[in-house]
Amino acid sequence: MTLDDRVLDVRAATVRFAPGRPAVDGADLRLTCGRVTALLGPSGSGKSSLLRAIAGLERLDGGEIRFENKVWSGPGVHVPPEERRCGVVFQDYALFPHLSALDNTAFGLRGGDRAHRRTQAMARLTSVELEGRAHAFPHQLSGGEQQRVALARALAPHPDVVLMDEPFSGLDRRLRAELRETTARALRESEAATLLVTHDAEEALALADTIALMSEGRIIQTGAPDTLYLRPNSLTAARLLGEVEVFDATVSNGHATTPLGAAPAPGFAGGAKVCVLARPESIQVGRADADGALATIAERRAGVGQLRLVCHLTDGGREVMARTLLSARHRQGDAVRLSLDPEAVHVISADAA
Amino acid sequence: MAVSPLMRQAYPVWPALIAAIACAAPLAAVAALAVSGEWSGYLAHLWSTRLPVYLINTLHVTLISGGLAVVLGAGLAWLVARYEFTGRSVFEWLLALPLAVPAYAAAYGWFDLTQAAGPLGMLPTVRGATGAGLVLGLTLYPYVYLLAREAFSGQSSDAYEAARTLGARPRDAFLRAAMPMARPAIAAGLALVVMETLADFGAVSHLGAPTLTVGLIRAWAGEGATADAARLALILVAIAFLIFALERAQRARARQTSASGRRRPSRRIVLSPVRAFAAAALCLSPVLLGMVIPLGRLAYRALSAPVTRDLVSAAQNAVLLAAIAGVLAAMIGLAAAYALRTGTRRGALAARVAGLGYAVPGAVAAMGVLAILGLMQTWIDTAWTGLFGSVFPVMLTGGVAALIFAYLSRFAAAAIGPADSALSRVTPTLDGAARTLGASANETARRVHWPLITQGALLAALLVFVEVLKELPATMILRPFNFDTLAVIAHNYASDERLGEAALPALLIAAVALPPMIWIARRIVRSEGVPSKDVRPEAGH
Repeated sequence: MTLDDRVLDVRAATVRFAPGRPAVDGADLRLTCGRVTALLGPSGSGKSSLLRAIAGLERLDGGEIRFENKVWSGPGVHVPPEERRCGVVFQDYALFPHLSALDNTAFGLRGGDRAHRRTQAMARLTSVELEGRAHAFPHQLSGGEQQRVALARALAPHPDVVLMDEPFSGLDRRLRAELRETTARALRESEAATLLVTHDAEEALALADTIALMSEGRIIQTGAPDTLYLRPNSLTAARLLGEVEVFDATVSNGHATTPLGAAPAPGFAGGAKVCVLARPESIQVGRADADGALATIAERRAGVGQLRLVCHLTDGGREVMARTLLSARHRQGDAVRLSLDPEAVHVISADAA
Repeated sequence: MAVSPLMRQAYPVWPALIAAIACAAPLAAVAALAVSGEWSGYLAHLWSTRLPVYLINTLHVTLISGGLAVVLGAGLAWLVARYEFTGRSVFEWLLALPLAVPAYAAAYGWFDLTQAAGPLGMLPTVRGATGAGLVLGLTLYPYVYLLAREAFSGQSSDAYEAARTLGARPRDAFLRAAMPMARPAIAAGLALVVMETLADFGAVSHLGAPTLTVGLIRAWAGEGATADAARLALILVAIAFLIFALERAQRARARQTSASGRRRPSRRIVLSPVRAFAAAALCLSPVLLGMVIPLGRLAYRALSAPVTRDLVSAAQNAVLLAAIAGVLAAMIGLAAAYALRTGTRRGALAARVAGLGYAVPGAVAAMGVLAILGLMQTWIDTAWTGLFGSVFPVMLTGGVAALIFAYLSRFAAAAIGPADSALSRVTPTLDGAARTLGASANETARRVHWPLITQGALLAALLVFVEVLKELPATMILRPFNFDTLAVIAHNYASDERLGEAALPALLIAAVALPPMIWIARRIVRSEGVPSKDVRPEAGH
């Protein structure tokens, strides 16, 4: 059996806490060993509940979770969490306050004598660069250190599946970027099937091999990060990964016409109602004498390495957000021409919007 | 994230349900007795003669003890929570220690000091309802103090400071901002003081303030009117439950008064030397009045009195009973805390019913236990005689088990709070973490829960230990023949006007109760303001 055959399969999983709409509403998900899948969705979309169901911390009210050929959760079946070999990094880390970093890490290790288990735990702590803090108690550790102990503790028993619930949410931006590196390295070494639950698109794009988008209890699209970013299958999916401009259009001759120009719409019949999706960086801002729709820059805001322009279209009166290099010399009030980068726009059916 | 019950429901509710039924049974039995017993006319007689006196005395004693406890408890709590002065950190726990002194011991001491022939004979004699109220207030104020101190030190100083910047002077800011925010805590403490006052027998009977409890014991023991005693008991319980309900209603409203926004621990104001001295003197006075002076007088009287022979066995009995009741109560407390933690309606109901005993005075619990065991005895006797033709050889009502039953019915409630707050340190994600790391529910309880709740369980056990050690009326009613405790012999000698002989057992109670009380007080004070996530590691890890 190769590594790729070792998968965790979630089929039509449903978790219901109270009457009404379930928290998880028929979600399908597949995790593969050695790969990181990010579960991205807004808060309240059921991500954490799905994670907890995979760990065995919630019962399924419908559907099935199986790992390899063994059913973990399903009708009449609930393998208790202690028998699933799932390592979990909780959002609040859930470190045992009465145990040192080392004893926390050794908690899940079985077999062998105590000295052996402590050696193994120490090796784990070393891999997250915490060997110097092994004897500190959780309350003596910083937030970042606590997060790394939680990761080491989850990975120590060599779990088949690693589940991380918003593992970086309590940390400041710089620390987050640093920990992402440590985490990514540790996960690559572990060869476990990893699920990273997050509401931060940037985090998902940076860490994951595959991203699953979740909304209102369902998985709405799964795919490689760049595919999802450039080719979302719905407006909801598009918005989960970042800002997007939407133009309603009708297809004729294989193209959808927008105020900023035509976009190729392969596969759509003539007369079909569509939405043209354009990321702000795929809207090209040209000089007033270039081609495109005439617009005025209403607002100009400098960001990290980029310039965000809110442009007011002269015809039609709508506003369009564009993103250019910070070095571009646009001023507020400048007249510009806006056009679409035909390679970077994406057309979806108006029904999917 | 939605509430997830699966991990918390890995632990059973049934132990708490059994405990709740056991704890509530005596009260139910008393109610049944009151309703079903014969109307002998004693109550009608009582109503036209002594019942008004009992009620007036009860009200009088309760008003004074409650009032004094609130003034002392809340005032001193404010002082140690908001001001810095020499000895403050010692006074912080020292102020709780009068709880180790049984009210009747303080009553013996003060009465002896202030009676006409006593060394403080120039003062008005401490007696009657006013005297009893003062003595009870001086020994029970720590309930208000401990809860109010926690409220004041947990309170962000923002509200107080906002009041000051809006032009309120310190006194007004205290009365208009800080006090109302601490009111739920003060009310909870006051409710405890009132319950204890209603339940007291030793102090009020010694000082000649016949309250309902005194009337109840007289009716039961003196006149043998069981059903009428039960009716008196119901009046007493009704008053206690009214207090209980008022306190709960108050607590429900408290949610809106809990501070909004971030909580910043307030910095204490450093007092000038003169004011610091005055503050220290203020803190010292209730400890002197409630503990040192009356116990000192008892010690003096004990020196000149013969040591009675029954003392050693009484001390053994008292400590053994208190220890057994303490351990069992802690177990019930934990069972109730686990039931609460399941988040189910059944669990909450079980914990609440088990907690009702807090409003049941000891004398009432004892009567209920007698009624239940008496009924069981009748059944067993009948069955036994039917089967073997002889008389059933065991008297259920005359055993130590009956005493323990009554103690638990009354005091198990005191163990629920500490057990629950100890278990609240174990957040559901800790369970999730342990379980996903391969530990079963039982292993999780052993490796994660137990180390985190040991100290809370010990606190619960010691609290009940101290209470049972001081308990008098239930012990008097239920003790087996020829079986005495320190409280009982102290009371017996004192009611025979042999204060010298009563002094030593009363002192011994305080001496045994004091070390655990010091531990309890220091622990409660220390745990202040520590968020549950960064609790210090326990020793031994």
